[in-house]
Amino acid sequence: MKRLLDVYVALQALFALSWCFSDAEPGPVAGSPSNGDRFKIEGRAIVPGVKTQDWISTARILVEGEEYVGFLKTDGSFAVNDVPSGSYVVEIVSPSFRFDPVRVDITSKGKMRSRLVNYIKTSEVIRQPYPLQIRSSGPHTYFMKRETWGWTDFLMNPMVMMMVLPLLIIVLLPKVVNTNDPEMRKEMEQSMNMLNPNPELPDVSEFMTKLFSKGSSKSSGGNKGSRSVAPKRR
Amino acid sequence: MAWLVVRLAISVSLLYTASAVFEDQVGKFDWRQQFIGKVRFALFDTHSQASKKLLVATDKNVFASLNSRTGDLFWRHVDKTGPEGHIDVLLMYGQDAVVVVGNGRLLRSWETTVGGLKWETVLDTGSFQAATLVGVQDYVKHVAVLKKSAISLHDLSSGSQIWVENLPDSDTVQYQTIYSGGNGLVFVLGVVPNSHIVIVEYKIEDGEIMNKKSVEAAWMSSLENSCTVISSGILLCADQITQSLYTLPLQSAEQKEMRQIHLQTLDLEVASGFQPVLTSTRPNPAQPPLSEFFLQLSPDHHILLQLKDGLIAPLRDFNPSYLAAFATSGERTVAAVMSPKNDTACSINLFSADTGRRHLDTTIIYHMDPNGGKPNRLYVHAFLKKDDSVGYRVMVQTEDHTLTFLQQPGRVVWMREEALADVVTMEMVDLPFTGTQAELEGEFGKKADGLLPMVLKRLSSQFILLQAWLAHLWKLFYDARKPRSSVKNEVTIDILSRDEFNLQKMMVMVTASGKLFGIDSKSGTILWKQYLENIQPNSVFKLIVQRTTAHFPHPPQCTLLIKDKDTGLGSLYVFNPIFGKKSQISVPALPRPVLQTLLLPVIDQDYAKVLLLIDDQYKVTAFPSTKNVLQQLQDTASSIFFYLVDSSQGKLSGFRLRKDLSTELIWEVVIPAEVQKIVAVKGKRANEHVHSQGRVMGDRSVLYKYLNPNLLAVITESTDTHQERSFVGIFLIDGVTGRIVHEAVQRKARGPVHFVHSENWVVYVYWNSKFRRNEFSVLELFEGAELYNSTVFSSLDRPHPPQVLQQSYIFPAPISTLEATLTEKGITSRHLLVGLPSGNILSLPKMFLDPRRPEVVSEQSREENLIPYAPEMPIREEWFINYNQTVSRVRGIYTAPSGLESTCLVVAYGLDIYQTRVFPSKQFDVLKDDYDYVLISSVLFGLFFATMISKRLAEVKLLNRAWR
Repeated sequence: MKRLLDVYVALQALFALSWCFSDAEPGPVAGSPSNGDRFKIEGRAIVPGVKTQDWISTARILVEGEEYVGFLKTDGSFAVNDVPSGSYVVEIVSPSFRFDPVRVDITSKGKMRSRLVNYIKTSEVIRQPYPLQIRSSGPHTYFMKRETWGWTDFLMNPMVMMMVLPLLIIVLLPKVVNTNDPEMRKEMEQSMNMLNPNPELPDVSEFMTKLFSKGSSKSSGGNKGSRSVAPKRR
Repeated sequence: MAWLVVRLAISVSLLYTASAVFEDQVGKFDWRQQFIGKVRFALFDTHSQASKKLLVATDKNVFASLNSRTGDLFWRHVDKTGPEGHIDVLLMYGQDAVVVVGNGRLLRSWETTVGGLKWETVLDTGSFQAATLVGVQDYVKHVAVLKKSAISLHDLSSGSQIWVENLPDSDTVQYQTIYSGGNGLVFVLGVVPNSHIVIVEYKIEDGEIMNKKSVEAAWMSSLENSCTVISSGILLCADQITQSLYTLPLQSAEQKEMRQIHLQTLDLEVASGFQPVLTSTRPNPAQPPLSEFFLQLSPDHHILLQLKDGLIAPLRDFNPSYLAAFATSGERTVAAVMSPKNDTACSINLFSADTGRRHLDTTIIYHMDPNGGKPNRLYVHAFLKKDDSVGYRVMVQTEDHTLTFLQQPGRVVWMREEALADVVTMEMVDLPFTGTQAELEGEFGKKADGLLPMVLKRLSSQFILLQAWLAHLWKLFYDARKPRSSVKNEVTIDILSRDEFNLQKMMVMVTASGKLFGIDSKSGTILWKQYLENIQPNSVFKLIVQRTTAHFPHPPQCTLLIKDKDTGLGSLYVFNPIFGKKSQISVPALPRPVLQTLLLPVIDQDYAKVLLLIDDQYKVTAFPSTKNVLQQLQDTASSIFFYLVDSSQGKLSGFRLRKDLSTELIWEVVIPAEVQKIVAVKGKRANEHVHSQGRVMGDRSVLYKYLNPNLLAVITESTDTHQERSFVGIFLIDGVTGRIVHEAVQRKARGPVHFVHSENWVVYVYWNSKFRRNEFSVLELFEGAELYNSTVFSSLDRPHPPQVLQQSYIFPAPISTLEATLTEKGITSRHLLVGLPSGNILSLPKMFLDPRRPEVVSEQSREENLIPYAPEMPIREEWFINYNQTVSRVRGIYTAPSGLESTCLVVAYGLDIYQTRVFPSKQFDVLKDDYDYVLISSVLFGLFFATMISKRLAEVKLLNRAWR
């Protein structure tokens, strides 16, 4: 019997490796088309409230990935030259500010239009201005907020509130209300009676205990006794 | 409404999967280094004395401004890769830098202080030859660009074209150089090889041809390098065969041929086979060049000459000298010459250009790196000192793309290793244990030898630990007393040792130039570097770790296979990855092209894994090939299989090793090459662990994964690139039996395809050419509800084909590269790391790429925590693991497990290098770094004191009651 426990296969062919290298860099476009059918995508990027010189040196305009690359002028405007007709996603990438991408369609005659990018309904047209006016929607939010610990968070926690409020009532109420005052005691007894309007109505829990512990009626009787004692003690 | 529900479901699920960076973690365990590439043009800003700018243009199509005091980047612009972004020439005038891009496609002017574009114009087609600034009356207003058949003049302030003229007889004459002396004329110089020179004069105002003449020059083949213009418009050429210099005034009408000056009359001789090089200088582009020039006679012989009254006189002979360069500050022009001092150092001296006299006290000593290349370029920055003497700094560029900036008397101000801009492959190697750590480990490794010795050993090791801890405390105390600035966390090889969780590793990086680097992963410090000379520029590298650091006292061992892409011939370089030293182990000679390498888990007596190299006659070479290894190979030969790929014929073939180290073909799969071509083949990573064999379903049954370690994913692309007919194919092939386990075709799709193959899944990305968007597709393989043979996997005994599930999603961004996280035991959930062209690296939970995501939410799918299917993949900025530290042109992402199960080390490389750690399931096995020690200790202390106080109070109360 043959045991084929160990089966080893080389995991990466050398040529596969070499292809990966060539894949990474897109090769030159075969044959350079004449300049006649090459067009220019123009526009302007605006970051409200920020001077252009603070961010333009780190920003780039990418057309369809890195297929065509443009740079920003000192006034925030840009032009990507030498683009043949077609449909492209134009994106301004900047490590500090967020810009929404725009799809630009160029007809073979050189007519331009821009529209919102919609990857699901690709033929939907919601027109955008051309030449492009791309307004930044603010700085990137790269970071998560740390969960900070504060006293208010702790106190506003529902569990804590459920625990603390009854505690307060238990501790503070007897101090506020003078229980030795006979008038007050009378009043409280009245209010207790108000809460329990019909003393003849059987208590549900009592009913249940009776039902389940018929054999040991003594203990239930004891219970009863303690219950009847309780209001007196108060 | 349904959409809203889905969105809500996603956002709820995100709460569990989010792995983002917190703001206070910035720079804590991550670092980035930015590079520019091999410098082709470098210009110092001499516009003002205080300027620190150094403008560089590189072979990576990068145009950048460096701070010449620190070597840091002011700004950097990365253009498109390939010839379309290639920077042809860099000119500088004042605050403006003019650049010609893409073989004369575009002319750009940059504002150098801000780093913004001033203007950009498209040039007419035609291959670029030369460009120059054109001045009139001491003021530069234009730039002239010479193409193969046309010349154009542009305004320097707006870029608008003033005129363009076709060159006469451009089909026979090769126009190569352009010159303007500031007198209202532009000269275009062309050559008909071995016949004559053509000189055409253009008027600057309207491009009218003023004069055209041809001069006999039968000896001349090219104007570039061997010719230059000096003095007030005199063309000077050097020729090796006739051993002469030739001069010709460009403007004079009467001189019909070039005047020959034999080098013999100057007592000079050009080394045989060396093309003499002439270097002139032009301090102000609006004025003619100086009459002094350098003539290089051999690789290490320069001479400074002067043209005066039509006569050439030598000013100073530099023999030997490696490099020479001119520099100007104010009105003074100097020449810096590098000459050898001894075997390891060179001295650079300054000479005045007009007399050749040496400036006193201007020597800079440049120490050559014994592990680096030879210097090949010298850039000089001259400035006027307060006492009106000329001071200077130099930047030396070496063969291995290193830039070294030096100042007197030889202090290295900064250094940039630009070879790292082109990392080809890398590995991460564990750091070795220190002596004490090794001893502690040894205690557990050895066999028990009695109770008492064990106890003693235990005690001694505890004592060692105590000692180490005390030493650590002492060091802390000692460092705390010193001022903070002097405490520098310098990392050297000697103190490198493995840390508690094995988070710090050695990054071994192989660059395209043939320079190897060892980088500390924690700080990014380069710990060693080694330049391998004589590497062909288009070589392919494969780095293999043969022995890790786990086998003390044997040193770790890495092997680099270097393969020439054209001939396929390979060579091995064996080195120690921790110290970078070359091993003394004898390496097998590889006389035939290597097709495939195979690292076996078989180890020799020195614990090195065996590497098999298969050549084009299917012969196998083992390395190391000791008797022990060959014996082991004979024993296991019947279970060693390998595969070969021939993409030109579309053939995949599988082989088995025989006992005598020959091979036999056992299977062959042909994918017709005329329809589709094989683009890439990938197996699984050898160091990958799968923790769970299956997935628990909503109904408590188990769906077992199909975990075939021999599975290959083969990606093909159609040869027909038409939008309607192109397709991308994927084949899953068993590497042992050649059985096609699964195949899938994506119609109306094209590459580039990026893919990851891991565990029981393959994720691949392609371009959907119909809808013009990127799409992710995931394939997952399952055995079903029962495992066929749960103890061992054998490719030869698999009667049931796996169940294959597939789902596709829209990815709303282009993609540069794709990789998956990897952890020690594979318990942590997986994330995909997606490199985007914007430079961000997205950490995408694999949860989103699950073919079992339901379209309709059911009770069971909710139980399984499946996210409802949504066609579009979300991209959230919190998932960018490198926040604003973008990595330009990210080409590869390397992931390595650390000692902590929750943590995966990530290195992204491209033009830049970025290293970080990711926690795909958050840090579940260590205390979080925001763990509130203060709170927990204050609560503990508070409780402690509260009990103390209440105890005391209770006592008092009891006592009071007793008294009552």
